[in-house]
Amino acid sequence: MRTVLILGERAVREAKRTPDALLPTLLIPIFFLLVNTGQAAKIFPTGSTTWLEGQSYAAFQLPATLLLAASFGTAALYLVEEIEGGYFDKLRATPISRSSLALGRLSAEALKSSLLTIVILLIAFPFGIRIASGVVGVVLLILLTAGWAVGYSGFLQFVALKTRNAAATNSAGLVFFPLLFLTPNFVPRGLLARPMEIAATLNPVTYVMEALRSLILVNFDWAVIGKGFAVTAGFVALTLFVNVRTMAKYD
Amino acid sequence: MTYPTDSSSSEPNNSIPAISARGLVKTFTGRSGTVEAVRGVDLTVQTGEVFGFLGPNGAGKSTTVRMLTTLTGITSGSATVAGVDVASDPDGVRHKIGVALQEAGLDMRQTGRELVVLQARLFGLSRAEAGERAQELLELVELTDAADRLIKGYSGGMKRRLDLASALVHRPDVLFLDEPTTGLDPASRLVVWDEVRRINELGTTVFLTTQYLEEADQLCERLAIIDDGKIVTEGTPASLKAELKARRGLQSDPSLDEVFLDVTGRRRERGAGEVSEVAS
Repeated sequence: MRTVLILGERAVREAKRTPDALLPTLLIPIFFLLVNTGQAAKIFPTGSTTWLEGQSYAAFQLPATLLLAASFGTAALYLVEEIEGGYFDKLRATPISRSSLALGRLSAEALKSSLLTIVILLIAFPFGIRIASGVVGVVLLILLTAGWAVGYSGFLQFVALKTRNAAATNSAGLVFFPLLFLTPNFVPRGLLARPMEIAATLNPVTYVMEALRSLILVNFDWAVIGKGFAVTAGFVALTLFVNVRTMAKYD
Repeated sequence: MTYPTDSSSSEPNNSIPAISARGLVKTFTGRSGTVEAVRGVDLTVQTGEVFGFLGPNGAGKSTTVRMLTTLTGITSGSATVAGVDVASDPDGVRHKIGVALQEAGLDMRQTGRELVVLQARLFGLSRAEAGERAQELLELVELTDAADRLIKGYSGGMKRRLDLASALVHRPDVLFLDEPTTGLDPASRLVVWDEVRRINELGTTVFLTTQYLEEADQLCERLAIIDDGKIVTEGTPASLKAELKARRGLQSDPSLDEVFLDVTGRRRERGAGEVSEVAS
């Protein structure tokens, strides 16, 4: 744990020194929030759209914004740079566990994602978005989003370790976009056309999005929230497993 | 300038070799087929030596170093470093070795001090101890003035010296230097040579790969030349030159360069204004 924190601290320092890399992870999700809300808000007015639970359409869109912000995974690109530059070998030659090497950057991703979530919420609040589940809900929202960030960064870190190639790692990051559009992103799952509903049901991102949405719109619907946390925990466990395995076999 | 000493550090055991390798083989399998990069290397490096490992590009020098430093798995054969088996106890080996690889692998977004402190903390030093050790080492490699600047602004020579400092944080028994002066100007090369000599004087065994024969001649007590994945000769620079002189019946003492060309079956050719080695 000590070495994870040491490596995590370094990754945080690195992020602070490269704000230009951090800025798009905030601006692009906010852009999508504004555009999607602008396009569909009039179709789904607050008063007559029951599934908005009395909030604006922007509140319905907020989970997609949070998940998008958590799915940039710039840490993996830094890892490729280190592999290409030789510093990764320097770290591998130290007597620290291979799991620490995998977790160091991911722990920093959790912190970065938490801060990004807080910033996005602070931007959203003046526009009338409220978190129906209150302060505890905000904490759960941050935890769930950070968990997703760790899982998705873990996936990209795995791609980086396997390919050792910046272009391949960058391209893998785009996988999130089709996954995002195969969720109940614009309307609840029950209103989707049947093929889209099946696709959304099979898509794990759906459950994380529905859990976030539940915290924002509904209050504590533990069945929905539980599914979101379970999917995220499974995703994190899977990506950590493949990361540690790949680190151990790295040649 | 004096080197910091540590009375609490464990003394290397002189009765066991610093490095021992038997039948070391490394095979890479890729889409284009199988490549045998190292084909049965036997090596013994005594504790306290500066041992040179020479060879042309692609001969297997770096792959051998990567196996000995636990960075690459061993396909077959065995090796111990500081008495610890590389394959069965890689973490044990990592505690005993310092590594400065080709191209000075550094994190350009950190300062020199941060990098050395981080390295020290990964070897188990507390934050305060790591800070003190970093200061000692930065003084040692004469980087105190630049210590709090980002590494991306360092010159090639400064990066090499910083890499060297970061490899010494835990006072390793064996220091692996993979082409430590490649790409450096002559003045920076001399500085690195001085550092290597001083580190060795403190009892650290140095395993040095280089393409520069003059470097090997200046620094190494013994050396081995590897070609096409196999060691083709081994001995002191003087003994290798004497052997060539006697075998060829030369009137004057040959250079290490001539020994190298003789055992690797290469010759020098000038093409497009540059001298290059070609297989005979």
